[in-house]
Amino acid sequence: MSNPMKSSATGENLAQVPVWLFILLFVLLFWGMYYFDQNSGWFNAHVYSPYRNVAELQLYQPAGGGGNDRGKAVYENVCALCHNPDGNGKPNQAPPLVGSEWVLGSPARMIRIPLAGLAGPVMVKGQEWNLAMPAMGAALPDDDLAAVLTYMRQSWGNKASAITTEQVKAIRAELGGRSQPFTADQLQQVP
Amino acid sequence: MNYGPLIFLAALFALSGSWLGFVVTPSFQLGTLQQTNTVGAGLTYPLARPGLAQQGLQVYRANGCVYCHSQMVTQERTLCEVVLTEAGTNTTALVAALHKLNPNYNQEALDAVLKSLPKTVVFNTTKTKADAAVKELTQTTAKAQVVITPAGPDIARGWGKRRSVAEDYLYDYPTLPGAQRVGPDLANAGARLPDVNWHLRHLYAPAAEVKGSTMPPYRFLFELRKAGLTPSTQALQLSPGIAPSGWEVVPRPEAVALATYLASLRADAPLYSTPLSSAPTASASADTNAPAGGANLSTNAPAAK
Ligand code: HEC
Ligand code: HEC
Repeated sequence: MSNPMKSSATGENLAQVPVWLFILLFVLLFWGMYYFDQNSGWFNAHVYSPYRNVAELQLYQPAGGGGNDRGKAVYENVCALCHNPDGNGKPNQAPPLVGSEWVLGSPARMIRIPLAGLAGPVMVKGQEWNLAMPAMGAALPDDDLAAVLTYMRQSWGNKASAITTEQVKAIRAELGGRSQPFTADQLQQVP
Repeated sequence: MNYGPLIFLAALFALSGSWLGFVVTPSFQLGTLQQTNTVGAGLTYPLARPGLAQQGLQVYRANGCVYCHSQMVTQERTLCEVVLTEAGTNTTALVAALHKLNPNYNQEALDAVLKSLPKTVVFNTTKTKADAAVKELTQTTAKAQVVITPAGPDIARGWGKRRSVAEDYLYDYPTLPGAQRVGPDLANAGARLPDVNWHLRHLYAPAAEVKGSTMPPYRFLFELRKAGLTPSTQALQLSPGIAPSGWEVVPRPEAVALATYLASLRADAPLYSTPLSSAPTASASADTNAPAGGANLSTNAPAAK
């Protein structure tokens, strides 16, 4: 027993570690595992705090089908740049959509505007605008365009009938590949 | 005494443990992350930033903006509310159901609720309770929906609608989440301040745009040109007294790229990992008021409720 290294390897000293320490370590380990199990989301890439697991995340998913989310999203991505997110238009940039006779009126007229554009003088709510709108909706799929037009007709206090994908499809076919923007007078001819 | 091997093993264990935890696990977890669809509208998210904005990210990185700005919104809770959108036909049953949900409603308050729909009728509850309330209300032929709103100090400051998640950074290299917040969080800078010209003016003279701003000016991103007879179209529209008289301030390409990048910063799409619902349409006008345009120090702006 002259070499201290050797004596520690015999296990003699191990016995001096109190038993409660082992129990404490075991309890801590157990608690750690339990905490991990409850809060880790099991490494799921979608679970972030404050959610603790997939079940909880699933519970908090908003109920589907509440309103016209697609129309709102397309509006905010494409049209809101000029017409403003609240539909009130912007001075010298684009006329308002809220309460506009073009929005609330004949669907056939309204659908033509984003498909081919609108240029020249136009009366909106008793005010004359003389600007040009490019064919902002020509590149949108029929269902997206129908959703965004419906959104415009039914938001911000506007109340008018919804516009269907079929209506958009029919008018797009009728226009062919028209690249010339409409004038307000031409649109007035449309029923 | 030769502790060498022991120290070696301990060091190996410590280093490989943290490597496994901080590099390997996240890479398994998020390394294959791809574009997803937004909840509700089903749009593809995220889209790559336009080229100019990507160059702007490098300018942002090179100028150390990350030392004062984070791009990481945090969230502490999720609040649920029940909003009554339509009264339906059976008003007596509806009134009874509302009274059961909230005994504080007396007849007068209930009449007021029914007149000004959509109206929040249950505040600050859990999803389970909110779902139960909606079920009870819809049984009376009324229409109600649960509104899910992320909440926390960052969100109260108006820095975002929801927390940041890994998808938000998918196309940014390097990602610049930042760790210090001398200035406001910029994860949604473009949603708050969509005007590129505002960003240019702010970079040239922060204090002229935001009273009391302590952000340093980045004048070297601009050049002074002798003013001609007619002002140049590229020159900034600064308030008088900022540029030396007889000179005009023209942004260099770096400044334009940086401002485009800032205006492109927006991380508020509703995703599966961050549930959030859009407010019912008719009341939407109340919370879509235009961004403050940096009119006051947004760091101390009161909770945007
Ligand atoms: C580039 C800016 C811009 C964008 C983007 C834009 N518009 Fe317009 N819009 C205008 C302008 C300008 C006019 C007025 C044209 C004129 O004076 O002849 C207008 C007029 C209108 C009108 C008729 C007038 C009114 O206010 O009711 C409708 C309807 C319309 N736009 C729909 C849309 C739709 C739908 C979209 C998105 C697909 C859209 N706009 C995107 C600039 C824009
Ligand atoms: C020394 C710290 C500091 C640095 C470095 C810094 N900023 Fe700022 N920044 C601030 C402070 C403080 C504010 C708040 C006052 C203000 O709006 O001017 C701010 C505000 C902003 C805002 C407005 C945010 C809002 O929501 O109002 C933007 C955008 C911004 N900084 C961009 C940048 C960019 C880009 C850089 C790098 C070129 C940068 N900052 C570097 C401190 C800093």
